[in-house]
Amino acid sequence: MSLWKYFRKGKILEKKQLDLLVALQDLDMMIEEISEMKRLGFSADREDELLKAREDLAAKIKKPLLYSYEKLKKRYKRAIVPVKEDNTCLGCFIRLPTSMSSIGRTDEEVIYCEGCGRILYWLT
Amino acid sequence: MTNEDLLIYFDEQLFLPDLLAKTKDDLFEEIVDQFVKVKYLKSREIVLEMLRQREKLGSTGVGKNVAIPHGRTTSASDIMIAFAKSKNGIEYDAIDGKPVNLIFMIIAPPQDENNMYLPLLGKMVEVLNKSKNRNKLMQAETFDEFMEILSKG
Ligand SMILES: [Zn+2]
Repeated sequence: MSLWKYFRKGKILEKKQLDLLVALQDLDMMIEEISEMKRLGFSADREDELLKAREDLAAKIKKPLLYSYEKLKKRYKRAIVPVKEDNTCLGCFIRLPTSMSSIGRTDEEVIYCEGCGRILYWLT
Repeated sequence: MTNEDLLIYFDEQLFLPDLLAKTKDDLFEEIVDQFVKVKYLKSREIVLEMLRQREKLGSTGVGKNVAIPHGRTTSASDIMIAFAKSKNGIEYDAIDGKPVNLIFMIIAPPQDENNMYLPLLGKMVEVLNKSKNRNKLMQAETFDEFMEILSKG
């Protein structure tokens, strides 16, 4: 890959940022369900390990993006929602325009649902 | 939740009766790769990371040669369970220190319509607590045999 391509609009950075944000949400969901895991009889005592991992991961995400994630999380519980192959937002179930999904599928930009405002994550 | 209710979460494409993996890490990769291959998951790395973080919290090797690695991930749209079996057993850092032969990997999306994820996990624990079921599962070679055992569990 040429350097020029790398620097172009910083898009590769965005892709990585979205992946980090998705990993952060996966961690948050895990932390949220620790007590249920224990109730089911699973070993889940090292909560401190997860909180530390969350802190390290959050530190790698750009502040404005992290802020918008936290804000959405407060409002909806899940800030990022998967988009299925039929182009529906799994948060509010609106059909997303095809133009949006062709950009979204490349994962090069962080895209917000025009229906509910959640961050979209294309699965296909 | 009945045993019959469990069946819809399994798929023949996620039935791995003879794992090649010899370590816990390889086991995760082998099963997650199959999820990705059959398009139930988008991102291999994100899901592997989630599963490894889950192990930090405490081992999902629940003892008696059984492991139930599990988690929600933004990279999935439906709940699915993969079944894998290792004939020789894999060192898993299980709570009783025993190697693992029977593996049920449960992957769930951020939100599932009827909130089935936790009841499903509970049901799997219940089924696998019975030694009769574990013994039968060790013998299952085909997907049909496997489903038969689960439905009666
Ligand atoms: Zn939406």
